[in-house]
Amino acid sequence: MLRQLRIWIPVFCLVALATPVLAQKSPTDQMIQSLELHVKMYPQDFAGYDGLGAAYLQKGRETGDSDYYERAKVALNKSLDLRSSDPDAAEAMTNMAVACMSEHRFADALDWAQKALALGSGDPSPWAIAGDALADMGDYSEAAEAYAKLQSSFVSKEEQLGLSNERDSRMSSLRMVAGDAQGAIQLMRNAIRVGTEANMPAENIAWGEYQLGEELFQIGDYSAARQAYADSLEQYPSYYRALGGLAKVSAAQGKLDDAVSFYKKALAVVPFPEYAAALGDVYEKLGQPREAKKQYDLVEFIGYLNKVNLQIHNRDLALFYADHNVKLDESLLLARKELEVRRDIYTWDVLAWSLFKNGKFPEAADAISHALQHGTVDAQLFFHAGMIHARLGEGELARKFLNRALDVSPQFHVLNAAVAQATLASIEKNSGTLEANQPRVAQQDHRERNLQ
Amino acid sequence: MKNFGVVMVALFAVPAVHAQSSPAIMTPAQQRISWAQAAILENPDRSQPYNDLAMAYARRARETADTSWYDPAEKALQESLQISPENLEAQRTEAAVLIGRKEFANALDISKMLNAKMPDDVTTYGLVVDADLALGNYKDAETAAQWMLDLRPGNIPGLLRGARLRQLFGDPEGAMQFYSESYQQVPQTQTEDLAWILTQMANLDMSTGNVEGADKLLQSALGKFPNYYLALESEARVRMAQQKNEDAVNLLRARNQNFPTLESKYALAKAFDVAGQAQEADDAFADFEQAARMRIDFPENANLELIQCYLGRAKNPAEALRIAQIEIARRRDVETIDSYAWALSMNGQHRKAQIEIAAALALGVRDANFFYHAGAIAARLNDKTSAERYLNESLQLNSSSEFAGLVREELSKLRPASAAMHQVE
Repeated sequence: MLRQLRIWIPVFCLVALATPVLAQKSPTDQMIQSLELHVKMYPQDFAGYDGLGAAYLQKGRETGDSDYYERAKVALNKSLDLRSSDPDAAEAMTNMAVACMSEHRFADALDWAQKALALGSGDPSPWAIAGDALADMGDYSEAAEAYAKLQSSFVSKEEQLGLSNERDSRMSSLRMVAGDAQGAIQLMRNAIRVGTEANMPAENIAWGEYQLGEELFQIGDYSAARQAYADSLEQYPSYYRALGGLAKVSAAQGKLDDAVSFYKKALAVVPFPEYAAALGDVYEKLGQPREAKKQYDLVEFIGYLNKVNLQIHNRDLALFYADHNVKLDESLLLARKELEVRRDIYTWDVLAWSLFKNGKFPEAADAISHALQHGTVDAQLFFHAGMIHARLGEGELARKFLNRALDVSPQFHVLNAAVAQATLASIEKNSGTLEANQPRVAQQDHRERNLQ
Repeated sequence: MKNFGVVMVALFAVPAVHAQSSPAIMTPAQQRISWAQAAILENPDRSQPYNDLAMAYARRARETADTSWYDPAEKALQESLQISPENLEAQRTEAAVLIGRKEFANALDISKMLNAKMPDDVTTYGLVVDADLALGNYKDAETAAQWMLDLRPGNIPGLLRGARLRQLFGDPEGAMQFYSESYQQVPQTQTEDLAWILTQMANLDMSTGNVEGADKLLQSALGKFPNYYLALESEARVRMAQQKNEDAVNLLRARNQNFPTLESKYALAKAFDVAGQAQEADDAFADFEQAARMRIDFPENANLELIQCYLGRAKNPAEALRIAQIEIARRRDVETIDSYAWALSMNGQHRKAQIEIAAALALGVRDANFFYHAGAIAARLNDKTSAERYLNESLQLNSSSEFAGLVREELSKLRPASAAMHQVE
């Protein structure tokens, strides 16, 4: 599950600056234009540069264009040049943390968030970024501690609701990692409700709805997931994540033409390699290999577009190569590289899958056990675990994992769900082993426990 | 608590400009020094890194009690002002350094001037509060602290100053609430900040007789920042309250191995005395007296300890009063007023002493020692009702204070026959 950052464009920007009347531009574009003009007129205004940095970050979020993160850092550095050693600098430092997160520089993001907190401004929002960085680095309990601090008795009711949104949506993600899907969904619904009450920006609410959709999809409730994605799109028209979600659920519900249409729309807004890969898989399923290949070629093109893209799409590329049995060396290299900076369960999962595809089965088993250690209920994790244990000759364990994957989300992947089914059938046919005469590896209790 | 203004100055004011990782063994101040130095190397023509460096040095002074860090801090500020003569951050940091050096009047002048230029700057208000607190201008301090919290609700520098003021105004629960709120917000990497807050909370607990609570907090503080001198000093007071005088001596010996202050030397001398180590006590008091007398006329002095010394074992009340008069001309914070009042009383000027102690207590402060002095002064004026009231209040507030024995003695003098019925254990 991809984590996304939310930032608020500082309120002062909305109320303090005269915004020129501009036709056909998004609010973020208008904000950027206003602030660029403002800092030209007032080059000593640290708050103006901070606001501009925040606006660039927001634009980067909306478009997926990593160039905006570079612009954001330039603006934020200018702000910090002007003011760095008192509580006023906390916002710029927090935004710097957000920029680092966007580039998957998690340790740097944590550093900046802690610096912001050390200024003692009274604004608890850096705890959100600190928690996100910790979660991406696999420190889930510390992340939960950080998220718990997203509260303040010194702010207005609306701001308290905003903090509640930030906290609950993040805690929801942690609940999903811990295998408590119902708890996670309840928290996410609450986050959306309070975010709406707090009049948060539309894109923030849309993100919440999208995340809810992801959680519902993960537990196989495709109808509810579709509704959540649709709500997200209604909240923020052309929201690429909502479009991607609708594509995924359409594929799961057998509506492959709709899936193609939605993926194309999503890619038109933001060319994410994950969508290109998924669209390619849908074309495969539809028996259109040439169309599929076009998308697969696009995956690599996007991934290698620039240095930042390569950094942030390491894991996507690694998974793509492993899923499609191409460039397996590269897959493993990228997965290992990602694990150096990001030790969350999904990086362990991709590493496990890459190791598996490279024939390193015991290492794969070890890696997948890391991915499953928190009790996460995720069909992809179970599928990968099932395949790995099947290859290790551990038929019983393989069967349990693969059954679990299909029970949780029968159409968890447009292609791999069928692979899971076929593998299960093969195991049953071969009396418990994927391939007969494979030496049995000793059972380890913790792998059984991961099924609980 | 009289060093509150001094130690507040560098709190939360020194982030680094650049995101750089630092070795885990460095203290927060050392990290900031390292970052600031790197920033200077990268951009030698910018004033801000020099300001950051100066503030980092000031912060290191707080971490270590080594006031010689203020010298390189001032040099860094000179560099900053050479590059950018009017830069307000350098002037603000200069005020912070002055507070660190206890030059409160100068610090207040600069802070007020800066506040006029930057009326929305929370940090500058903080400096105004610190200087006003140290000088005893509590109303002004309160106004400035309120501005801090109005400008940035919940900001930690504002909460911490607010905590101190709440304590002075007789609201220890409110003070503890602000300390707790602050503590919750500080990231775990800021070990010295955490240790500092925990130590303040412990001191607050001690002041209300909650010795066990104070002990636990100080253990936490020392866990966060090992060998933290402020925590060691407070822990020694806890041990003395627990009648573990040898432990107190050992703690203060350990504390004084690195950058002993005059105050910590005096504390060790007292600990030797209470522990019955007469020779060591004599030597330590002599050592303290000699060093402290050299600083009588300087802002950075140990005059309050010297007054205590001359009113106590040194038995020179006239000299105590002379020093008290020097100090009261410089500042009118409650600790100085109390010392002055006691010196006056010990020199037979009870009426004047009563006026002074009443001024201190009018603030609302609840301090077992102040109540003891107020009670003893009232007794000498034959105002037995007030005497009994104050002395009982002292014991009610803190029955294990270092003056509790003296309080009971005074009470027994008031009503020899019925004293046992009225003493609060």
